[in-house]
Amino acid sequence: MNIAIEILVRFLAMVALLLVNGVVLIYMLRKVLGHLHLRIGPNRVGPFGLLQTTNDVIKLLTKEDLRPAAADAWLFNIAPFLVFVPSFMAYIPLVFGPELAVTRLDTGILVIFAVLSLVPIGIMMAGWASNSKWSLIGGMRAAGQQIAYEIPLLLSVLGPVMMAGSMDPSAIVAAQSGTWFGFIPRWFVLPQIIGFVVYAISAQAETQQTPFDMSEAESELITGFANEYGGMRFGFLYLAEFSNMFIVAAVGTMLFFGGWQLPWIETPGWAAPFVFILKTYIGIFTMMWARGSLPRFRVDQMLAFCWKRLIPISLTWVVVWACIQRLAFEAAIR
Amino acid sequence: MWGLGVLKGFGITIKNMFRPVITVQYPEQRLPIPERARWAVHAVFNEDGTPKCTACLICVKECPDHVLRVESSTRPEGGKHIDTYVYELGACMMCGLCVTACPYDAIEMSHEYELATRDHSDLTRMLLFDVDAASPRRTPREDAAPAPTGTEAADA
Repeated sequence: MNIAIEILVRFLAMVALLLVNGVVLIYMLRKVLGHLHLRIGPNRVGPFGLLQTTNDVIKLLTKEDLRPAAADAWLFNIAPFLVFVPSFMAYIPLVFGPELAVTRLDTGILVIFAVLSLVPIGIMMAGWASNSKWSLIGGMRAAGQQIAYEIPLLLSVLGPVMMAGSMDPSAIVAAQSGTWFGFIPRWFVLPQIIGFVVYAISAQAETQQTPFDMSEAESELITGFANEYGGMRFGFLYLAEFSNMFIVAAVGTMLFFGGWQLPWIETPGWAAPFVFILKTYIGIFTMMWARGSLPRFRVDQMLAFCWKRLIPISLTWVVVWACIQRLAFEAAIR
Repeated sequence: MWGLGVLKGFGITIKNMFRPVITVQYPEQRLPIPERARWAVHAVFNEDGTPKCTACLICVKECPDHVLRVESSTRPEGGKHIDTYVYELGACMMCGLCVTACPYDAIEMSHEYELATRDHSDLTRMLLFDVDAASPRRTPREDAAPAPTGTEAADA
């Protein structure tokens, strides 16, 4: 096949996945949060309110593109894309099946977290360029939070990487095939349960969801860094948030829950992407469940929790697991 | 144990997923409103269609917001004639003092609660217009009871 066409097709598939995910996740979030709180959620537009997000997107697309007079025009315009592009790039190394990925990268996990670490820069830019104190506080909080929680996030990822001996997502998924003792699925979540809990908490913070959404704390900062944005610029910020949610859930699936593989039985090739998406959506549901259950932390509590609890726990776990694996390895070769 | 409350909260919310919703979808579904709810003031009529109002103006004097206005005249053969009984709904705070004060139960707090209008002038209502007022002698107060006996007074 012509290489240009192939690149285009892969690119378009990525865009389609991202946009469809955004639309589905926004609807899902509102429905799930509604039912967690004994409410209904959207139910007016279309059957069961299914067309609500479509309508919202049309509204965002047709809205006037406003910019505050005192804003720094160049930074203000470019910031939503700086938030959006990294979360778009993080789709590249995801493996949806044995042969199904945008491209195979030997350092895929590293690439995902490297590009996601660019998000705080865009968010801070948005907060600063809006020239509003609420936006600035929101942007600063978001940057501080994301930089802090990236450390336990990366440390918790090290466990599965050590077990698989590779940073290639497809190798990590392949290492989780089969069973232990014949009946326990060989998923890394079982030996890495501490790592997984740390990963889940940091992922929740990294995507700025409620217990950790001080950056947009609507009761104090209105919507934080997104405050002065409207129309499709706001749409990009919002879409990036939901796309990040999908990415951290997908990475969690790949690292801890066997990726596209069904437990116990051989996964047929056509079913792999569906299994992967299903597992990812279960992960996303859990994140929404936490979002609907827990009240927001205070900003100092959130940072203290990260620096004084999560980082020591995950560091200790990395060392402990390295020792365990080394000893097991030496026992195996003797 | 530390963190147990968080898990308990998760349990409550996941149980909520399977409980019926408490939302009442208002225009289609309505809850019954309490019997003594106080909404817009309505005039009360006798069975033959004549108003119970005697134009005594006690409600007008009692109203803290001055939303009631009664214009009355004396008929040549005696008795009062109500020209207009105007009620400014937009300024009413539904306190119910006029209804409490009325000695003839001629007005009531109704259950009409959907009070939004498209036009400001609709907020000024004519409760009574160009009718003869009731004569207090002809229509005595309905709950006028005989003088309380000693035991009732003690209960009170």
